[in-house]
This record gives sequence, C-alpha cells and structure tokens, in this order.
Amino acid sequence: MATHAPARDPLAGTGAAGVRRESREWLWSLLAGVAILAAIALVPLSGDDAALSLWTLIVMFCVLAQGWNFIGGYAGYAAFGNVVFFGIGAEAVALTLLNGGPFWLGLLLGTLAAGLFAFLLGLPVLRLRGHYFAIATLGIAEALGELVAAKAIGGPGGEVSLTPPDLDFHIANTLFFYGFLALSLLTLLGTAWLARSRFGVALVAIRENEEAAEALGIPTFWYKVGAFVLSALPTALAGGLYAYWFLSLQPTGEGGVFDVGYSVSMVLMTFLGGAGTIVGPLIGGIIIEYLVQTTTVAFGDIHGQLLGALIILVTIFLPQGLIRLERELTVSPAGVKLSYTRRFTEGVRRVQRFIASNGI
Amino acid sequence: MSSASSRPTASSPSGSPDATPDANAAPILALDAVTKRFGGLPAVDDLSFAVRPGEVLGIIGPNGAGKSTLIGLIGGALAPTSGVITYAGRAIADLPPHRRAHLGIARTFQIAQPFVGLDVRDNVIVGALFGRRGLRRPEAARVADEVLERVHLTHKAMLKGDQLTVADRKRLEMARALATNPRLLLLDEVMAGLTPTEVAQAVELIRAINRDGVTVLVVEHIMRAIKGVSDRILVLHHGRKIAEDLPDEVLADPKVIEAYLGERYARQRAAEREGAATSAATGAATSAADADTDAAEEPEWKGGLA
Repeated sequence: MATHAPARDPLAGTGAAGVRRESREWLWSLLAGVAILAAIALVPLSGDDAALSLWTLIVMFCVLAQGWNFIGGYAGYAAFGNVVFFGIGAEAVALTLLNGGPFWLGLLLGTLAAGLFAFLLGLPVLRLRGHYFAIATLGIAEALGELVAAKAIGGPGGEVSLTPPDLDFHIANTLFFYGFLALSLLTLLGTAWLARSRFGVALVAIRENEEAAEALGIPTFWYKVGAFVLSALPTALAGGLYAYWFLSLQPTGEGGVFDVGYSVSMVLMTFLGGAGTIVGPLIGGIIIEYLVQTTTVAFGDIHGQLLGALIILVTIFLPQGLIRLERELTVSPAGVKLSYTRRFTEGVRRVQRFIASNGI
Repeated sequence: MSSASSRPTASSPSGSPDATPDANAAPILALDAVTKRFGGLPAVDDLSFAVRPGEVLGIIGPNGAGKSTLIGLIGGALAPTSGVITYAGRAIADLPPHRRAHLGIARTFQIAQPFVGLDVRDNVIVGALFGRRGLRRPEAARVADEVLERVHLTHKAMLKGDQLTVADRKRLEMARALATNPRLLLLDEVMAGLTPTEVAQAVELIRAINRDGVTVLVVEHIMRAIKGVSDRILVLHHGRKIAEDLPDEVLADPKVIEAYLGERYARQRAAEREGAATSAATGAATSAADADTDAAEEPEWKGGLA
C-alpha cells in the first residue's frame, strides 16, 4: 500500500494568507463605500439646489443598484422586474398620504408589501432559470404597472399629485437627500454583512453552480427567495422616499414608477461597478447616473445613443465590473510577493487574458 | 485485493428493521424496484439492490447503461418514476438533494461542476459549511485544509475552479464531497481521464475513505480500478441489473461477458472477416460508429481482464 506522498507544498500556509487577504479586501471595500457616501454627504454644503437634486437622484439609483445586487449580483439571477418593488413602495406612500396617513406608515407598509410580494412572486418564478426567469420578472413588473394604471389610484391613468411636506422647500429637499444617503449606507452595511455570512456564501455558490450547491447541502430555493426579498426591501424604501420627494407620480410610461427603464439601470450600474461586490453598485450607480444627467443636459437628443454605446462597451469589456478590473490590475497572484510595478505589468497581462477569455 | 471487508460504521442506521436476507447488517442504502423513464425510455429499469454499511459497491456498465442516472436518483437530482429508495431506514425518494446531503449522502459529478468563480479552497469550504456537519466558518476552513491535503490539492488551493486540469477537477469533486462528512459517498467516474498513476492514487484514496467508515458507491468505466477497490460489483445493462456479485465472479460471468463485452467481440470478429475480404458491411459499420467513443477505454479493459 503506497502511503500518501508528502504533500508538495511550496505555498504552505497560503490558506491563512488567503483568509487574511479576503478580510482585508472586505474591510477596504466597506471603508471605500463609507468614504464615498461620506464625500457625497458634503453636497448640501454647497447650497446649490441643482447639485442637491442631481445627487439625490444619483444616490437613489445607487440604492436601486445595491438592492438589485442581492438577487442579480450575489445569487446571479437576472431579475429584470425589480422596479416592481420601487413601484409598490411609491404607490404605498402615495395611497397612505392620500388617505391622510403619516409618511412613515406609508414607508413601512410599502416595504412590508414589497417584501411579501417578492416572497410570493419568488415561489413560482425562482423555479425558473436564465432567460425564463428574466422574462417572467419583466412581465410581472409590466403587468402590475398596467394594473395600477387601470385601477386609476389618484387621477386618470393612476397619476397622483401629493401635497408637499409642511417644511421649507430647501430643508425638505436636504432631508430627502440625507434619507436616500442613510438608506444607501444601510444597504452598504447589509451587503457587507451578507458578504461574510453563510447566506452570502450560499448565494455565491448558487450563482457559480446551482446544481453543485444543492448537492452539497444548500437549500438553494429558499436562499434564492431570501435574496429576492432582501433585494425588494431597499428598493421599496427608495420608491417610498421618491414618491414624497418627487410629489407627482404616474405608474406607467417613461419615468413612471413601474417603468422598466429603472430595472435596466439597476442591472447596468451593478455590472459596470462589479456585480456581487460590496461597493461595485455604488460606483456604477454614481458613474452612470451622473453621465445620464449631464449628457441629457449637454447632448440633449443623442444622450440615449451615448448610453447605448456605453452599455455595449461595458458588456464587452467589463462583464465583471470595474472593481474586479482594479483587482486584476493591483492584487498580486495568490501568495506571491511582487513589487508594485511588477504587479501592475503582471496585472495588465492578466487583464488582457481576462478580456480575451470573456468571449471577444 | 478486495479484502476491505464490510465493517459497520460507527453511526448505525437509525433503527431500520428491514434487513435483506443476504446481508448481515441492515443496508445503509436499498433500492426497491426503482424505475426512471425519460419520455418513454427507461434509463433505470426495475432496479433493486442493497448496500451494506461500510461496503464499497462498484457499478459498471456500458455507455448509456444508466449509471449516472442511478447516481442522480440516489443523490436526489432526479426523482424516480416508480420504486422506493431507502437510506438508513428512511424513504428518501421525495427529499430534495440538499436534505439528502444533510443526511450524509454526498456525490461527485461525472462532468466536474466546480464553483468556477471561487478558488479551490472556498469550493471545499462550501461543502463543510453546508453538508452533514454544517460547520461555522473557522472550523469549515480547517476541515477544508485537511481534505485538500488528503486529495493532494493543497498546493493548488488558491487557484480558481476553472484553472484546474481534468485530474485536479476530479480531485476537487472528491474534496468537496468529503468536506460534507458523508456516510454514503457516490463517486461518478472519478477515475475517467486519469493517468495510471493518478488512478492508483485515487484507488488508494477511496480505500482510505472507506477505512474511515464511509460507505462508497463507485460508478466507473475502468475495470482494473473498480475491481481493485470494490467489495462487490453490480453490472447495469440498459438500465437493468444483469449481475451482482464478488468482483472475480462478476468478471467471469458469461452473462456479463456476453452483454457487456459482446459488442467488442463482435467487432473483433467483424475485423477478422474484413481481413478475410468477405462482405462485412454491417459489422464494419458498427465498428466505425463505436470506435471513437470506446477506443479510449480499450487498454483499461484489456488490463482488467488480463
């Protein structure tokens, strides 16, 4: 009986080093996220109302991308209907306010309703995979928007105008800005928690190979439902805040709270920044929404085409996001110590390989 | 060779009274008249057998005999069309795969299914976190390192799942399954595509796992390896059991030779006929059709029968 060959182990102890590196990356991601939000928190100090509403919108989209990241980035399920949770959150606040209820009650009801809806919707659609799942979620969002429009909550076609909060215009807007910012911070912390939890490991395993995940003892279906509900919560809160901030809503059409354009933005932002990463959706959200808002002003008619080109470039060159590109460029290969210049040239080589391997 | 006799595991099956007449211990796994049809076609057809705790049962059969389907049925990826599957005294045919993993059934995949975006170590940690043990993070990492050591993958722990060679992917499959701490290990062709040295290593590893009290079900094409590692061998043909006995008995069974090796002999005869320049159109056609799929296994067969 041949005994086990003594393990060839030139990188003895890489296991522990790997864990340390992972922890460091986790901490840096979290700190980077907090730093970004802290920097944005300074915007109201400028006293510029246009800048304030620009950044309110940007942070709102960050929250939407962060919410999508749970189901789309971590679990790897291409949910194209997450705007439905935004819509539910917005309509709940609108209905509550129209019926004389307080704002916080609307937020609470909207969040609960969206979570429950995600759970009930998840039961059938999370049994589907790939395109079928994407199409099913897309259809649900469209259908619910039409339903709200047909039921004509508020005015004809479901249009709603709300009474602004009884506050100075500037103060109210500043409060909404910080509301979105707090929500984004909360979601960031939630993502950081997820990344270290069993739940997060399970979702990543599901994304990387669902059949193997199930065979190894992961109750894949319930974890997916959990991720779907989790992604609904911040999205619904953002919808609720948006309703009271923007004051006039319509369910369908461009800019409507069930507009699939929101879903597309969530996906694009998350992928640009880095799907399944802690800080990726923030970065993607800031870049894209900033470009959308500024190109709308600067280029008017052709900003749509510019964005289209951006989407094409992202999917071809950055299918794994800016964060992972940065990692490829700067992180040394497993367990090997390299100088920064060497690391960078090695990184460039790996990026080239990385791009080549992504099917160009 | 096959003297690794069946020993009872430390953890005995939870009060199962249904001992089969031919076994001393209550079976850890029993299939009773299990059938799986895809469309109308039976992949596994009215199959019954039992595995005793601590045993290594080899399962062989030509391509399409239903071997991988059988693994899927026991592991839970597939539901039987009819029949009863009992594990440790409990009917499991309705349980999803993850519940079976919690009960101690682990499987490997014939085509390796690594988590491609995760490194090798994290792949194995997933097994330890969620398998029968359901460990917390630090212990799971420790178990993963032990298991990687055992399958000789320690030096590749930091590579991604898709950067591995075929042999290392098979090792990773084994490592992940082992990390779940199984009582019953289902190995689906873990030795296919390995070099003779690697096969010898794999055989040694399976024996060592079995010595630790794990019951093993080995599905394999490589006769030499399976003969060396199995206490008993079951032969599948068109989804049916055509033999189940000690390795030497099975390999000498005329039924097995006829059903399992018959095609090959027929081809040899066809080749001889061709050499004699007589009309052998039908035989040659069969030979050409099967040549590419089976050629790779030919040396193993000869080795096994020698």
